[in-house]
Amino acid sequence: MRHEQIETNSALMLLLILVVISIGGLVEIVPLFYINETVEKVDGVRPYTPLELRGRDIYIREGCYLCHSQQIRPFRDEWLRYGHYSLAAESQYDHPFQWGSKRTGPDLARVGGKYSNQWHVQHLTSPRSVVPQSIMPNYPWLLATDLDTSDVADRMRALRATGVPYSVTQQEYDANVKKFGKVVADQLDITQATDNLLKQARDQNFDGIPSRVTEMEALVAYLQMLGTLVDFTKYDEGYFTTFR
Amino acid sequence: MFDWLMWFTRMDNSKPLALALFFGAFCGILIYVFSGKRRSERLESYKYIPLLDDHLRQPDTGSASDHSQTRKVMDNE
Amino acid sequence: MAQSSALPAEQYNYDIVRKFTIMAMVWAVVGMSVGVYIACELAWPFLNFDIAALTFGRLRPVHTTLVIFGFGGSALFATSYYIVQRTSQARLAFPWVAEFTFWGWSGGVALGAITYMLGLSQGREYAEFEWPLDIAITLVWVSYFAVYVETLRRRSQPHIYVANWFFLAFIVAVALLHIFNNLAVPVSLTKSYSLFAGVQDAMTQWWYGHNAVGFFLTAAFLGMMYYFVPKQAGRPVYSYRLSIIHFWALIFLYMWAGGHHLHWTSLPDWVSTLAATFSILLLMPSWGGMINGIMTLSGAWDKLRSDPIMLFLITSLSFYGMSTFEGPLMSLKSVNALSHYTDWTIGHVHSGALGWVALVSFGSFYHLIPRLYDTKMYSQALIYVHFWLATIGIVLYITALWVAGIGQGLMLRSFDDYGNLAYTFIETVEFMHTPYIWRALGGAFFVSGVLVMVYNMVMTVRAARYEQAAVEAKLTAKLAKA
Repeated sequence: MRHEQIETNSALMLLLILVVISIGGLVEIVPLFYINETVEKVDGVRPYTPLELRGRDIYIREGCYLCHSQQIRPFRDEWLRYGHYSLAAESQYDHPFQWGSKRTGPDLARVGGKYSNQWHVQHLTSPRSVVPQSIMPNYPWLLATDLDTSDVADRMRALRATGVPYSVTQQEYDANVKKFGKVVADQLDITQATDNLLKQARDQNFDGIPSRVTEMEALVAYLQMLGTLVDFTKYDEGYFTTFR
Repeated sequence: MFDWLMWFTRMDNSKPLALALFFGAFCGILIYVFSGKRRSERLESYKYIPLLDDHLRQPDTGSASDHSQTRKVMDNE
Repeated sequence: MAQSSALPAEQYNYDIVRKFTIMAMVWAVVGMSVGVYIACELAWPFLNFDIAALTFGRLRPVHTTLVIFGFGGSALFATSYYIVQRTSQARLAFPWVAEFTFWGWSGGVALGAITYMLGLSQGREYAEFEWPLDIAITLVWVSYFAVYVETLRRRSQPHIYVANWFFLAFIVAVALLHIFNNLAVPVSLTKSYSLFAGVQDAMTQWWYGHNAVGFFLTAAFLGMMYYFVPKQAGRPVYSYRLSIIHFWALIFLYMWAGGHHLHWTSLPDWVSTLAATFSILLLMPSWGGMINGIMTLSGAWDKLRSDPIMLFLITSLSFYGMSTFEGPLMSLKSVNALSHYTDWTIGHVHSGALGWVALVSFGSFYHLIPRLYDTKMYSQALIYVHFWLATIGIVLYITALWVAGIGQGLMLRSFDDYGNLAYTFIETVEFMHTPYIWRALGGAFFVSGVLVMVYNMVMTVRAARYEQAAVEAKLTAKLAKA
């Protein structure tokens, strides 16, 4: 075949372009959906509770991912600074993933439990009052705005459609009990979404204001659970490398 | 009957095969494009296309030059 | 027949090209100014002013979207509509559909910027548009495809010139990337969740992200280069055969390289190794293209001394060569371990975006504008001024971020004699304060260059209007006499 045949025929050219550009993506992406070995088998990873989910939405809304990564790499300095390197399993319910691409601020993959709720509230409201050299913006409106809880069930239903095991039917609920235990399964029940959200906010009072459920409440709830789900003392280091 | 297809599903086989195919295709294109004096001349002649459009801009000169460039051709021709 | 052109005598539809050219400059001014502003926010955080819409997290997508899709996209629409008509020697097909692509694209980009400031975002870098805008953009893109391909089919020139191949690959690839990366389940009009999760989502996103660079910011602008460099030089491209190799190798190799954005993450190692390998290979077609462009001037190097437009085009190719060398270097796992997550990446992007994409667009526009308005540029001297402002700006910018990025990377991985971390994270933030100021200054230089160009352009168009009015007045006077 002469190259002129391609050059003089727009349809043939289009077809060839499509073939040539498809190969790379197909080879690299398609296997990820079929190779189960990609995701480590670990206990403890669960979908977000309604309150944490709303917190995650706020994290995305404010564009936190543009300055904070959620992906710890297997290096000594990152181990010392942030903790165990991130597992694929830990973001398996993340729609979308929030690994980030830039650390203008530190990694947050395991920030959960490192600071008190009070510290987070103070830091988010006015970062420089706790870290004088910080360049993070103040987020005073998080504490001033009440959380919109009206559509949390809709949000969970949308996530359910993507494959996150939030339950609607009794059957799905039972399956969740089997997989995650009753405490978690109750949190994943869409029919109880709003009640669960309010209950978690009341019980744990992340924002320090007992009478209100603010956006701060949800965001701190989310930050405080990041990276806390897997108990790494239970696994031998060599175990995870078998999945890489 | 299709057991031989399984051979391709093994990464150890398909990786070198893919490498050989892509590299072969690349070399083939290189040889095709750069070998042969007449083919080279023919291919290089198309690089003047963007410089052909200027004399068509002015309607007076354009009407005078009603040679092949202004003729409508079909796709594929 | 209803033609939207102002001048019915025109052989080609320049009206749509003019619209996109003007809009590209509008987005350049707005988008790059936002960029300078958020650069200042990093140096002086009080500039966030406790206003949600002005915080870095919400303005950063505004900057990237306005510059990539607003400025870059409009520049590509303008030049591709111009090139496809001139190299096909056919008038643009479906003028009303082309008109729709203008209003649809401009409206989509503007709405995107507004929605980000309101906090509506998919949380995917460079694809932050929520789903209704994604669908609208898809419609615009399909229209663009239809106009472009139909114009090609109506060509009077049997051969499709190489610039058009790059534009075709760009249109097809971007459609593919946009659709697959934005698959999502909507909650409401303003909120959706991506269909994929975790590793798969990350790979899809960076397959998109990297090829947005590969096809939107590289292949398409190479199309621009393959037309405007030969035209401005007045001589054909160096080697047509090299351009055949360049084209097929580039579009094949780019699609493999996305995984290098995910080195050392939870992505399986084989994917990132494969991506790194292809990133190294990518150096060859990239440099092949650069050489092809620069060598077009072979035997006419003196043009660099007398023609500021040539200066823009050749410098842009040099920056292209530089950033396509830096890119494969950064895709090596060992280098990436240091560079990833730091400002080195941001500097690298800008050496490509400012040095290559913006400079080649400006050069092409300086060639284009006098032809669109049938006049000559108002001031050659101002083109030189713009060139130097832009070049100094880029050099300041990327040097500052090399210092910030490599410095931070080295600080973060240094240990004291006892094996403890030598620096806390916040110490690296403190260290970056000075480079951040230099970076903002570099950006300010670049924007001021753009403002000079806008002034030059406005004066050119005004002069053209005046000339045209004078010609028409003479004509009517003649007719009145007769």
